[in-house]
Amino acid sequence: MSAVQHGMLWPRTVDEATAMLADDPDARPLAGGATLVAMMNARVLEPQTLVNLSRIDELRGIRGEADGGVRIGAFTRHAETAACALMRGPAAVVRQAASKIANATVRNMGTIGGSISFADPGLDYPPAIVAAGASVEIAGPSGRRRIAAADFFVDWYTTALQPGEIVIAVLLGAPRMGGGAYVKHARVAGDYATASAAVCIDAAGPVRAVIGSCGSTPVRDDDADALLSGDRSDAAIDRAAALLEARADPLDDVRGSAEYRRLLIPRLLLRAVRRAEAGTDT
Amino acid sequence: MSVTATTAKPVSTRVELEINGVAADVRAGLSTTLLTVLRDELHLTAAKRGCNQGVCGACTVEIDGVPMRSCLSLAHGCVERPVRTLEGLLETPRMQALQRAFAASGAFQCGFCTPGMLVAAHALLAADPTPDDAAVRRELSGNLCRCTGYARIVAAVQDAAAAINASGEAAS
Amino acid sequence: MSALVGTAVGLSVPQLEGDDKLCGSAQFIADLHRPGMLHGAILQSPHAHARIRGYDLSAALALPGVRAIVTGDDLDERHRMGAFIKDEPAFAKGKVRYVGEIVGAVAADTEAIAREATRLIRVDYEELPAVIDPAAALTPGAALIHENSASYIKVFDAGTDGNLCSRTEFTSGDVAAAWGQCDAVVESTFQTQAQAHLSLEPVGALAEIEAGGRITLWSANQSVFRVQASVCESLGLPMTRLRCLTPRVGAGFGNKMEAHVQPVVVLLAMKARRTVRMVLSREEDFETVRARHPFTIRIKTGARRDGTLVAREIELLLDGGAYGDDSPGVLGYALLMQCGPYRIPHVRANGRVAYTNKLRFGAFRGFGVPQVTFASESQLDELAAQLGIDPLALRRGNMLVPGDPWFGGQAIRSNGLAECVDIVERESGWSTPLPGPAAQAPPGQRLRRGRGVALSAHISGLLASGAIVRLLEDGSVLLNTGAVDIGQGSNTVLTQICAEALQLPVDRVAIASPDTDGSPYNWGTTASRVTYVAGRSVVGAAAEIERQLKRHASEMLECSVDDLELLPGGKVAIKGVAQKAVSFADISGRAHWATGGPLIGTHSWVFDQKTFDPKRAVALGLPFAQIGVFSFNALVVEVEVDEATGQVRVVGAWSACDVGRAINPAMAKGQIEGAFVQGMGYALVEEMVWDGARLANPSLMDYKIPTMAELPETLQAYLVESEEPSGPFGAKSVGELGINGVAAAIANAVADAAGIRVRRLPMTGERVLRALLESATPA
Repeated sequence: MSAVQHGMLWPRTVDEATAMLADDPDARPLAGGATLVAMMNARVLEPQTLVNLSRIDELRGIRGEADGGVRIGAFTRHAETAACALMRGPAAVVRQAASKIANATVRNMGTIGGSISFADPGLDYPPAIVAAGASVEIAGPSGRRRIAAADFFVDWYTTALQPGEIVIAVLLGAPRMGGGAYVKHARVAGDYATASAAVCIDAAGPVRAVIGSCGSTPVRDDDADALLSGDRSDAAIDRAAALLEARADPLDDVRGSAEYRRLLIPRLLLRAVRRAEAGTDT
Repeated sequence: MSVTATTAKPVSTRVELEINGVAADVRAGLSTTLLTVLRDELHLTAAKRGCNQGVCGACTVEIDGVPMRSCLSLAHGCVERPVRTLEGLLETPRMQALQRAFAASGAFQCGFCTPGMLVAAHALLAADPTPDDAAVRRELSGNLCRCTGYARIVAAVQDAAAAINASGEAAS
Repeated sequence: MSALVGTAVGLSVPQLEGDDKLCGSAQFIADLHRPGMLHGAILQSPHAHARIRGYDLSAALALPGVRAIVTGDDLDERHRMGAFIKDEPAFAKGKVRYVGEIVGAVAADTEAIAREATRLIRVDYEELPAVIDPAAALTPGAALIHENSASYIKVFDAGTDGNLCSRTEFTSGDVAAAWGQCDAVVESTFQTQAQAHLSLEPVGALAEIEAGGRITLWSANQSVFRVQASVCESLGLPMTRLRCLTPRVGAGFGNKMEAHVQPVVVLLAMKARRTVRMVLSREEDFETVRARHPFTIRIKTGARRDGTLVAREIELLLDGGAYGDDSPGVLGYALLMQCGPYRIPHVRANGRVAYTNKLRFGAFRGFGVPQVTFASESQLDELAAQLGIDPLALRRGNMLVPGDPWFGGQAIRSNGLAECVDIVERESGWSTPLPGPAAQAPPGQRLRRGRGVALSAHISGLLASGAIVRLLEDGSVLLNTGAVDIGQGSNTVLTQICAEALQLPVDRVAIASPDTDGSPYNWGTTASRVTYVAGRSVVGAAAEIERQLKRHASEMLECSVDDLELLPGGKVAIKGVAQKAVSFADISGRAHWATGGPLIGTHSWVFDQKTFDPKRAVALGLPFAQIGVFSFNALVVEVEVDEATGQVRVVGAWSACDVGRAINPAMAKGQIEGAFVQGMGYALVEEMVWDGARLANPSLMDYKIPTMAELPETLQAYLVESEEPSGPFGAKSVGELGINGVAAAIANAVADAAGIRVRRLPMTGERVLRALLESATPA
């Protein structure tokens, strides 16, 4: 085990980064900084060592995979994700979510890896990537692994990341026909969502509907998805919303009461389904 | 808000930054932000501290040619990344057009948000020389202003765009 | 553009400080730097209500780099400040009264060390029961926030008793009998919230100490004179020992009108015997300074069948927070203005301010009028609905016309309200029905449009100011008024007034920065008073200079003073004989070197128009005996209500203000527009939320103000010029007027759009959705 270095460390590869994190359990990975530095400014965290991921080429950029899927490197800024034409069809839900994060300047800084690793349930990516059926690729001391986005978010500010592990990419399946929509209800532009709904409709049939900001993790329900996959009438959406609402566990906070969030679930879900059907980008 | 106990003393080390085209040798701790370095070490006080959380936009500067929050950028994280503050953008024709338009339009009152607003507007016009109303509002929605009510800022950005484009056409 | 344009007045002269602000070189308090200065940081109370038993500073003092620490032990119990009631120490002494209150402070070599040191200070508290709710505070047996409240010095008959900070009552006519004359009576209760000023610049101060003990204090402020008085009163200093100055100020809206950290920074500088600068963080600013008063408003209005207003009864309960600050003034002013610009012959208006264990509530743009206007204008619409009268017609039928006095009998000498109403009615398309929701929109998902109107007013004249105009050796002029420009443009406006008065180009008049050493007294940049009150002083001082110029010229040109006139460009000439002229420079030279001495024109006055005519109204506990000269506003708002979420979006706003005369039209419009958006935040989104006794959202992450994305598609400001005879070139106020009617107009528009009445601010999506659901549920 090498001597613990303090300060800003600059790994050039994923393996170097995970090795640095393994060497020093108090070290923290630094991506865009939008979240981490805000917490440091507020003295919520006071790390002595930061592993800066910005010079690792493998983490950067969005590319199409051989199988037609889309690989979003963990260090991809929200601005890039929001502008990415590769995310068509149902995957547009992720692009829409990226475009609604904070504001243009913060979107130049924040990254998808940093964002989902923070796992604040109020964030925009979590429901969107779960609705898109994405998987999260993780690297750590024991190698690499992939897990479904739905399994990545475990609890409040808690992910499936083990000590020393970092997110290295978010993988979306091949673009298919269909539509996706991310509907965000917030007090003003740039605020965290009071509640959100992310819907992906695969033209071949399956629908995935996820509710954000209404519990410790994105809210989804297999039965609700099954229902919507066969029937997208107003009545069906209402029944699906009830199933999702039963799984939701929203809190009272300054953005809204738990009761208000529950009221929003069917309303936002309806809006998201109709927008996904229309293929309208908002 | 929780406070964690510190056992290690914050250590300041040397870091070389590039600010407005000039190498700047400063001392900064790991948690020292670019905003602090700009204001307290380099006395480039155009960038302001309005919230220190990245929400208000008064600290906006350009890093790698793109507007970012200097309050959310660690000084040590800015090595080899060119930084431009309002002070370093004053000579560009685009900024001068914006300043003229802001003055003519009354697009500022107290002036505290103005440097961040100008840096963001400058970047907007660089990326999109003919932004429509919706684009201006969307791209600048991260710069808060409490005095003007925003309408004159939107008008000023449009006026500056028109002036830049007119002079560009004249030149070509 | 003003309809009445002079050589300087009526022109939209760009802000004098523009270049500095646009280049980023404007120096705000946080930009001021002194070699070797220390940095200050505050220690805040974790308790809402507690006695301070003692302090242990040993660990903090031992931290290297700490140079001084101050606590309540450094204060004298007898020294208290307060605009109306002297109830407030420089910072907490003996007890703490709200979570976040300043308990002590540290000066150290760096801000980081100072903040670290504050965390090492141990304070021994004995917790007391906290009183959070104003009604509970006034219940017998409630814990007393100020045990000695009755003994504090007060500047008016406040009626202070226990947790009752002040009480005020105004009556006119015979309300009890008048209800019998009414065909329709509406009574409701309204509730408004605490709003944070959110000036982009957090508060700060820098105190420099001279060897002889004299102190120079820079601070972000709205009045160098209030700073001086507050610091000296709270620290027991003679006023000759303190000089107060102002850097560029990053807005105030009332937050910086009374003291914030200035007393504690001065005390630190005195103890350390070194210069100290302190700038609060955004969170500290939220938690420690002040905010807009929450109001509980019970209001009852009666009218005849034809819509004529007959009677009004209103009862206010203000949450005053831990210290009086401007609360008595806000209460009194709100009661004075609650009728709105209407004739209501029978009125009983009363109110109380309660102390509570929260931060002090104080001056904030509108000063109580946004709160009461929300109630009053909402109720007028309800009355109109009950009577089947168009809301605008109801208002036209009752509004004050030229010749009518304000409630209480004060004469109004300029009234352009009718023209304001005409403009907004026309420009908003009031008579044109709005389109219904899109045909395909399913029920429960529709976007519904509606329009609402509100009329309101605000005063221009209050308290004292002076002006000094000096002729410089080269014939140019230096103006000194003591009025702080907080970004609204008063420096530019006052310069324009002076230039116009002396027929000089604007760039031949310079304006001095406010300085308690050199500037004449100006109460402050507040109450929308600077253009009117300081402007009149400028006109008076310029007239004095003109007299002196003419006296010299008459000797130089060998004619009578009555034969002379000022010509543009700085000349005094014989009327009709332009060639027989002398320049200001010539006169100045003569005065300085030969005879008479330097030309100095001064003017000093205090607004003395009585608030009430005692034959028209009876007042108890009147905090302002002399306040007046009214500006008027008519506002129409168009909104879109999203049935699915309850969210209200303002799509259009048309705001017409009678400002008497627009000295600088662009700046006047800028005030109206800025006030509208701040009012929109107040109406829809902004709310300081308490979790028990602790402020739950003291950060910009959690407390949101409108962004550029919320700017309505149409935001139009219109200027009406009724030419106030007593005003400088006919001008009266505009700074606060534009915010007063916003919440009401939006509430009325929401009612029009969605058939629901929300009586609580802010009208969040949640509150609107609940109201929609309740109205849809069969009874």
